[in-house]
Amino acid sequence: MRDAGSHRTEHETSIENDNYLWDRSGDPEPEIPQLETLLGKFRHDSPIPVFPEIVPERRWVVFHWHLRLFPALGMAAAGMAAIVAVTFLVYRTKPTPTNLTGWNVSYLQGTLRIGQKTIGAKEAATRVGIGQMLETDNQSRASLQADDIGKIDVDPSTRLRLLTMGTGLKRIALDRGTIHTYIWAPPGQFVVDTPSAVTVDLGCAYTLQVDDSGAGMVRTSLGWVGFKLNGHESFIPAGAACATRPKVGPGTPYFEDASTEFRSALARFDFEDTTSQQRAHDVAIVLSEARQRDALTLWHLLARVDDQQRVLVYVRLSHFVPPPVTATKEGILRLDQPMLDMWWNELGFDDISVWRHWEHSWTGTATPVREK
Amino acid sequence: MAGSADKGDLLAAGLRFRPLREPSVSEISEDATWVAAARAGDRSAFGRLYERYARMVHGVLLSKVPVGDVDDLVQDVFIRALRRLSTLRENANFGAWLVAITRNVAHDYHRRSVPAEPLPDSASDQEIPHGTSGGDQDCPSVEVLNAVMSLSETYRETLILRLVEGMTGPEIAARTGMTHGSVRVNLYRGMEQLRAKLRARTSHVGPEKEKSS
Repeated sequence: MRDAGSHRTEHETSIENDNYLWDRSGDPEPEIPQLETLLGKFRHDSPIPVFPEIVPERRWVVFHWHLRLFPALGMAAAGMAAIVAVTFLVYRTKPTPTNLTGWNVSYLQGTLRIGQKTIGAKEAATRVGIGQMLETDNQSRASLQADDIGKIDVDPSTRLRLLTMGTGLKRIALDRGTIHTYIWAPPGQFVVDTPSAVTVDLGCAYTLQVDDSGAGMVRTSLGWVGFKLNGHESFIPAGAACATRPKVGPGTPYFEDASTEFRSALARFDFEDTTSQQRAHDVAIVLSEARQRDALTLWHLLARVDDQQRVLVYVRLSHFVPPPVTATKEGILRLDQPMLDMWWNELGFDDISVWRHWEHSWTGTATPVREK
Repeated sequence: MAGSADKGDLLAAGLRFRPLREPSVSEISEDATWVAAARAGDRSAFGRLYERYARMVHGVLLSKVPVGDVDDLVQDVFIRALRRLSTLRENANFGAWLVAITRNVAHDYHRRSVPAEPLPDSASDQEIPHGTSGGDQDCPSVEVLNAVMSLSETYRETLILRLVEGMTGPEIAARTGMTHGSVRVNLYRGMEQLRAKLRARTSHVGPEKEKSS
């Protein structure tokens, strides 16, 4: 067992010595200015280029101004708007197999199927519309792009469906396979349904895999992802992963460089139907193997273990990251949500209020969570 | 090894020793103002955004594509951002949005260059040649850059922003949207790995030079 106290002092000293690397305060270690000089040769030093003319966006206030000055013009405009609205409603009632709203297929290697149609790489750029299914075979890849949402790279042997493209919510379903997403839509707007959980983008890039059994795995490379199903929620920051299983939902997130024992015990705890004794044993392994950054896992475990184990998790997590003064032990042990959220914010990941702000009542197409 | 990992781990949560808030509240509101002005057709406002973010874009690209192509791609990124400015929903999110476009441009670059090869996520055991020409390979700057490029993507991006572009950790966090904890861990661990790489190179090159002399 390591001597946490002496390590802590050593770490604190390291942090102090490293302040120059962080914000150029303090005394630098001699090699760092040397590296800055050598690498500074590659620094950006190009002047500002001449950018093309920017076409100003149309402002509705101008239209209102006209309305005030020219009532007749306003009446005519209102009449036109009414005609457009009626036309829209009429057309809307007709079912259409494709929709102009959708994702552009910006790249294609091999062939893919959109609905019943097979698309080859030489064919012109195409779109996946709402309600359509896109499927790659075992040798094809594709990229989908929507300007105001982001990009999805689709691996071979993947099937996904485009569900909605609303202004506030863009939703696809991944039935099986692997997608890599790079999302620039505001957090909370891009949602992927899988057979075992709903992933909610919180400003990030991530890879999502679903196998033929419906089990899933998300790996976040930038920002963070929320995984949710029927009340079970998991937050996966950059560098972490989280598995899901049908009928169980999202497991406990973890960093993949955790020890094998840690990950095995966590997988048993999350997904295997074991005895309470085995579960207690697995929690004990997780606690003893946990490192500082595994606070991520321990925070999630608080709400997933029984009352007795929760005390142990509380103690271990407090050892790594003390709870904020505004959170009491009693509050945490009775799973007071605001207190748990405040503790999360102490862990050094992103602010949980981002999630709470964007959280909707996500109800996936997946089956309900099994009660532990 | 474990020790160094632990140091990084402590750094991740170690912000409590030295709490640092995002320094950029005024910057974010400035960004929002400039974006709004650019959307209304003000090119000088977009120029100010360029001045603020060009180093970040350059650094992110440098961590992903050969140095000779970086300057052209920086312009591509800003032109693409300019054309899509109307799709940005939150003006204050310009930085994170621009990072996503930058990574996208780098991704497209690799896809165009080698269609069958995916963008390398981790190059820990391989080297991405970065020299501008054959003659430059012996230059110490290129040697060090190649060492940085042999680190995993996460570390090399953050280290390049810090050591090449001269951005501080808080600046990197503010511009890219990463948390202070992530940036600090990436800097610390990346630096540890870079030291090891440079040590290994020195000990490897040293005896060979002796032999040849």
